[in-house]
Amino acid sequence: MSVTTANDAPPPHPTTAVGRLLARAGRLPEMAIELVIRLCGYSAIFFVFAIFFFVFREGAPMLMGELGLGEFFTSTNWNPVSKPPHYGILALLSGTLSVTLLSMSIAVPLGLGAAIYVSEFSSPRIKETLKITIEMLAAIPSIVWGFIAYMTLNPLIIQLTDAPIGLNVLNAGIILALMSVPVIVSVGEDALKAVPDSYREAALALGASRWEIVYRVLFPAARNGLLAAVLLGVGRAIGETMAVLMASGHANQIPHSVLAPVQTLTATIAAELGETNQGGDHYRVLFVIGILLFVIAFAVNLTADLVVKGIRGKQNV
Amino acid sequence: MSDSGLKTSPAAPPRRGSVPLARIVPHRDAAAGAARYRYYVSTSTNGSEGDGTLEHPWSSLDAVLRDIEHRHGGASPAVKKLCGYDRIEICSVARPSDEPPPNQKPRYEFFVDPLGASDERSTGSAIAPWPDLSTALAGVARLDTSGALSLARGEHLRLTVREVFSATPVDLRKQRVERIAKSIFLLMTISLVVPLVLILAHLLNKAWPVLTTAFVFENPRNNMTAGGIWAPLVGTFYLVFFSLLAAAPIGVLAGVYLNEYARDNWFTRIVNMAVVNLAGVPSIVHALFGVGAFVLFAGMGESVLAASCTLAVMTLPVIITSTKEALASVPMSFREACWNMGASRWQTIRTIVLPNSLSGILTGVILQVSRAAGETAPILFTGAAFYVSVPNKGLGYFFPYALDRSCMALSYHLHVMLTQVKGATPEQIADGTGLPLEHLQYGTAVVLIGLVLAVNSVSIGLRVYLRSHKKW
Repeated sequence: MSVTTANDAPPPHPTTAVGRLLARAGRLPEMAIELVIRLCGYSAIFFVFAIFFFVFREGAPMLMGELGLGEFFTSTNWNPVSKPPHYGILALLSGTLSVTLLSMSIAVPLGLGAAIYVSEFSSPRIKETLKITIEMLAAIPSIVWGFIAYMTLNPLIIQLTDAPIGLNVLNAGIILALMSVPVIVSVGEDALKAVPDSYREAALALGASRWEIVYRVLFPAARNGLLAAVLLGVGRAIGETMAVLMASGHANQIPHSVLAPVQTLTATIAAELGETNQGGDHYRVLFVIGILLFVIAFAVNLTADLVVKGIRGKQNV
Repeated sequence: MSDSGLKTSPAAPPRRGSVPLARIVPHRDAAAGAARYRYYVSTSTNGSEGDGTLEHPWSSLDAVLRDIEHRHGGASPAVKKLCGYDRIEICSVARPSDEPPPNQKPRYEFFVDPLGASDERSTGSAIAPWPDLSTALAGVARLDTSGALSLARGEHLRLTVREVFSATPVDLRKQRVERIAKSIFLLMTISLVVPLVLILAHLLNKAWPVLTTAFVFENPRNNMTAGGIWAPLVGTFYLVFFSLLAAAPIGVLAGVYLNEYARDNWFTRIVNMAVVNLAGVPSIVHALFGVGAFVLFAGMGESVLAASCTLAVMTLPVIITSTKEALASVPMSFREACWNMGASRWQTIRTIVLPNSLSGILTGVILQVSRAAGETAPILFTGAAFYVSVPNKGLGYFFPYALDRSCMALSYHLHVMLTQVKGATPEQIADGTGLPLEHLQYGTAVVLIGLVLAVNSVSIGLRVYLRSHKKW
């Protein structure tokens, strides 16, 4: 590319030897500042490794030691206080999975639909209003969502479905859907915006309607961005803690229906870490779950990133 | 909403040629919708006069043509003017009420076009259409009498009126589909807005009785069955302040590095990937990290400091991303002009780039204030306290917490009120020493959400102001 970027700044060129020396001395403070900036720039890498390291450090003795990974992943028996304790997370995994699945089946159509409306169909003024509203939706803290699940949605579900308890997969799914929708709308809208207008104009010139543009031009062109939007929504739903803790009912079982209460990986850590003694087996197993969550989130985000960037890499060739 | 939350780079357009562009739907005559007007003719009705319907068809083509002239061509007020893409079909049936096969191509098709030539050369074909309806009807009648037309049973003849720029049946169907699609998408969007409005209205309605200045400015009393939320509120300010104190400089400088210094190589790609991944780490994992790194390893214990550091790490990636975006929006020519004056790279950043993107950076940082204020999971085990006894007056009222001790926080306070506090007994409520638990819960939730949304509004307002006062 022939476009100048910020990174091609020309260094100053003093001509004499003394001038060069002076310039270098004069540049010392600047070099110090550049060093600080560089270090800060690397901080993201540092923290990603630090998170993994410190969570792994606390969980490692158990992960390497007594914890049988076979039982850990295949048993539904999560009973850390029994003797001997049982650490099977299959039910917790199924809880996370069911809640995520339900929330995504609500959030993905709604989120992508809203992204399409905001990006393609609305007038500029309405677009601005909608974006701000969805931003507000994103700003509501997770504990408040949990509060709404507990105080409002809970009785509502009992009333409407005759379920004995309103804290269940359905409740958590709805709450999580509302929480992850802003991410999907935001990233999805960016993906649609990234499709060049010339594509739209070409389709319009061929007589396509707006819907045909969306369906036949934008969907294929923005496919990767939309997929990334969905993946980021999934990441948000899997990682959410406080709202799910309140909304899911916290019962360790594989759900048989959407009205069954479940327990998720994140909620288990939040609910039980405070009761464990530091250094104990239970404490360390919770950190092992943390490692698992970290790896899942890492995988989801990396995939989303590659889905977007992979295509771009090919394009530059 | 480009400034809020996690954001990957927008998708690049795919390679040229890899995208199937809009396919034009071919004009399929048979399926392109029924004719607007349809008249039936049946030779088996033997002279009895009909009205052109299937039950009472006309007896001859001649009669139909006269009828059409009367209905569509005359000057009476009941005339149905033909326009747009209207079509008249004359359908031959064996006997009355004998439905012809559907979706059949017409045996003959003629065209009427106001732009058609009105001389001998117009033949009613698509290329040389008749100029108006009466010419057309006369033309059809002439063809009929010359014996050129022979409609078998079930076949039909079509007369299509074309007007320039009028919507064809295909266009009309497209428009209908588009309207339906648009309203479905609108419905989806509304279904996101409605819950927000309902939730806010519901919370506000429930919390209304308790929302007084006393509630905000009083400390919790009597095992948190009475009083207000001042102590948790101050705790939240503590956490937000100290977390931003750590995260804002590092995040902004990291954004400067990524936008101004980093070259486009594999290492920078890894840094960017790390930023994206850091933003996607679940908040409870941040909590575990905080316990492992700050509480235990760094020996801070459960304290304001440990909780602030944990929150700082959590808010860092978004500050980096928003800073990067703000810097990227400063035009390249600004930097080039500065370099041409002999300024070094850091001088350019300090005097040109940063001042011009300051409000954009601020927007991102302010947004993180609301995020840090609302988070609960990361402070659960790193420094949030169930209850801290704090002074009710003096300096201690405003600065109640020590940095190496844990503090109350609004978000955690809401969690506690919801799950662990029993609430005042009816006697306490009656004699005024306690408040109903529900009031306290809703009050806390509303203050928290109000705080967060207020901060958010500041950020949005700043952005809107910024966009309307752009210098370039």
